Amino acid sequence: MIVAERKEMDEILEMLAPYKKVLVLACGSCVTVCLTGGEKQAEELATMLNLAARAKGLDIQADFDCITRQCDREFIDNLNKQPGDYDAVLSIACGVGVGFMSEQFPDTPILPGLNTTFYGANVADGVWAEYCHGCGDCVLAWTGGICPIARCSKSLINGSCGGTDKGHCEVDPDMDCAWLKIYQRLESLGRLDELRKLRPPKDWSKDRGKGVRRLTHTEMVAVEEEDAS
Amino acid sequence: MIEGDLTTRELAEIQNTAELMAREWAPCRDGCPVHADVRTYLQFIAEGDWRASIDVVREQLPFAAVCGRVCHHPCEENCRRRDVDEKVAIRELKRFVAETQGADGCTVNKAPVQDKARVAVVGAGPAGMSAALELAKLGYQPTVFEKADVAGGIPATTIPRYRLPLEVVRIDVDWICAHGVEVVTGVEIGKDKTIPQLREEGFAAVVVATGLANSRGLPIPNADHENVYLVLDFLQAISAGNAPKIGNTVLVIGGGNVAMDAARSAVRLGAGTVRAMCLENEEEMPAWSWEQEEARDEGVEFLHRRGPVEIVVDGGKIVGVKARKVTRVFNEQKKFSPEYDDADVIDVACDTVVFAIGQMADLGFIEGSELAADRGRLSCNTATHETSVSGVFACGEIVTPPGSVVEACASGRRCAAAVDQFLSGESIHIDDTTPPVIDTIPEATADKVLKVERVRIPTDPAAKRKTNFEQFEHTLDEAAALREARRCMGCGGGAEVIVDKCAACLTCLRVCPFDIPVVTDVARIESDQCQACGICIAECPANAIVPRSRAVDELVTRTKAALETISDGQKIVAYIGGFRRTADEWRGRSEPIPGVAEVYLASTSRLGVPELLHALEKGAAGVVVVSCPDGTDRYPTTAARTKKRVEQTRELLGEIGLSPEKVQLAEVADKGRDAIREAICEAVVKITEE
Repeated sequence: MIVAERKEMDEILEMLAPYKKVLVLACGSCVTVCLTGGEKQAEELATMLNLAARAKGLDIQADFDCITRQCDREFIDNLNKQPGDYDAVLSIACGVGVGFMSEQFPDTPILPGLNTTFYGANVADGVWAEYCHGCGDCVLAWTGGICPIARCSKSLINGSCGGTDKGHCEVDPDMDCAWLKIYQRLESLGRLDELRKLRPPKDWSKDRGKGVRRLTHTEMVAVEEEDAS
Repeated sequence: MIEGDLTTRELAEIQNTAELMAREWAPCRDGCPVHADVRTYLQFIAEGDWRASIDVVREQLPFAAVCGRVCHHPCEENCRRRDVDEKVAIRELKRFVAETQGADGCTVNKAPVQDKARVAVVGAGPAGMSAALELAKLGYQPTVFEKADVAGGIPATTIPRYRLPLEVVRIDVDWICAHGVEVVTGVEIGKDKTIPQLREEGFAAVVVATGLANSRGLPIPNADHENVYLVLDFLQAISAGNAPKIGNTVLVIGGGNVAMDAARSAVRLGAGTVRAMCLENEEEMPAWSWEQEEARDEGVEFLHRRGPVEIVVDGGKIVGVKARKVTRVFNEQKKFSPEYDDADVIDVACDTVVFAIGQMADLGFIEGSELAADRGRLSCNTATHETSVSGVFACGEIVTPPGSVVEACASGRRCAAAVDQFLSGESIHIDDTTPPVIDTIPEATADKVLKVERVRIPTDPAAKRKTNFEQFEHTLDEAAALREARRCMGCGGGAEVIVDKCAACLTCLRVCPFDIPVVTDVARIESDQCQACGICIAECPANAIVPRSRAVDELVTRTKAALETISDGQKIVAYIGGFRRTADEWRGRSEPIPGVAEVYLASTSRLGVPELLHALEKGAAGVVVVSCPDGTDRYPTTAARTKKRVEQTRELLGEIGLSPEKVQLAEVADKGRDAIREAICEAVVKITEE
């Protein structure tokens, strides 16, 4: 799941400074699940904007709305409020939603209310952690299911660095050393031999090395409508 | 009726309507013959709003005050709280609001114009008066003819005053009459006037609701002795103030509720020994168990499995009753079919006998009409209430099995609908379908519900009450009524998931203090488990959960209205967890705190961050949340949740450059008014200083 966190209010207010009528648009998908970009957060944010505007003498008037996903065209039909009726939309989807909505509503500025941070999972009530980097060339099969790209601070591919310290990372002593975890997990699985295998270099070209990535399922590409006549 | 999952679009259709609230019924409502909205009227009592409560009761139950005294309360028998600790004392709560408000304290929903046809109703008992009321509300002009000199039927003329004072019956009768129901007493249809004459006088339809007005006797030797009474005559004479002469040893023959009334009345008239003799054993007796128990406490002795064969008279006086052994009462098909052992006969000493073995219809009203009867009963289509004569309808015990007041009301209301369809030229079809009913509460959920002891009804001891006809059970006081009403779990009024909005994020599952939600495709919150605390509603990031029993934006609306009550200057909102607060506080009758609008909630469990922000948005200079400290709210974890939400709101305010001090928390909602007042005043100072 994509995890995001709300931008600082100062930044949001600065972004919105040129606009009067603002729609805070939530996304009912990943960012709802991580309690950052759901309808409730949009409601809170719109209310905060109205309060801030009043306190700071700004001329902002904020409403809110939500659709199931901001990354699919069809859900746009479910909008209750039309972006075109507003001076700007503050999207609290991930960056995907902001970008996609910008394409769909070329005449309306779509601004990001969130910083999209990582692909993560819920590790405790109210806590999400990064598990995947989206590198395009998954190595989890031979790293015991622990991603060295996402969970090693340096995204090292060939074992721990010299900064490992009693199982913790030099970047943050509260962070586990991913490579020690990988070693321990493979040991418990009886698969330490995976680490002795020689492997070709990781194909970093799949990690944006060739520009904008794209997925096409040819079998699902829209078929031509038959001519009824 | 939308069944199954609810979507945003469907919610829009039924939001703020009775349909959302009644998607499923609690068993209390389902079990009530008139389907009174028990949950709602108890909620109003819990909020100290007696008038709103009695108005809800009266929407379905015209004889609210009478039923507050004598109803056999199937609502209570069905109360799901029985699986938590004890059933809620629903009848006593109804009595409290009905009698506190009286007839004048209830809203009269009179039809704007009453220009539809005239309808004659025969009999001013619960069935007839209920039918007349409904017809009046629909714009008809009903006139009720009553042979007695008082309206109200059996409750007014026969039920002993120690159970039902006449002034209580008058509350209901007066309220019904205020709807444009005309009652003519002292007129017996069939004797003073016939049904065909009524038709000639211009009544477009006639409703017969004469009940079971005659007592049954037994054709045994000496049954015609002057000291042998039929139970209705006996009780009616007492109620009218002409108590019949009785001796020192009274034998009541019968085991039903009316027999209990007769025996207990005989005790009150001063009889030294009162026995109730019946065919049934203790378990088989039709009298309610509590009636038997109270009679026993008052000294009534019971003689089971005996049937009278002869009243023995010596020197012109009754000296006893010969009674034979009953070997069985019911046959294998559970039908009444008694068998006796004639070799086992005893003499039961007595000087007075009361026959209380059942009642039957007085078919005198048939006189002069074409109405058909069969074996002592009026012929009637029970589905349509139509008799053999077009335009003449019947309801109440004349057509139903013998029942209680509330059942007669249900029959009367149903009959009124039939009459309306008939007079509107429609074919008669009464839809009796009702919504699905929620199941019993699972043990795991019941374990987590706060236990609160059921109220004890203030009752005079037997030694005191057996000497007079004064009421011996007393109305609850206000504090007891509030406490008891707050025991209601609000069954079926809890969370409804809007499935197309649910992101299956698991938040509801993680925050529910009762461990109820499960997430499959979307969150599933079973109504037989949900306790309606509202915590999931306040926390759901998708706004995908709504309450069934209140409007989604109810709190914002109330806040706006509360703020408008403050004319000028700084306005502050105080949200107060009202689980332990008085009616005066809930209703705004306690001394106000200048500049503070108080909004009472069943619990702060439902008060979310958006609501706190909205209060400021709507013009409040600050918000004070007065919550119950840990362990004192009706719902677990409320104190901790409230605290977190207040902290989060304060942080958010800080982010937009507003003072976090605008939102204050005081955990004193379990204390007295003085402590709350002091805490709010302190909070106001902090808000004002920022």
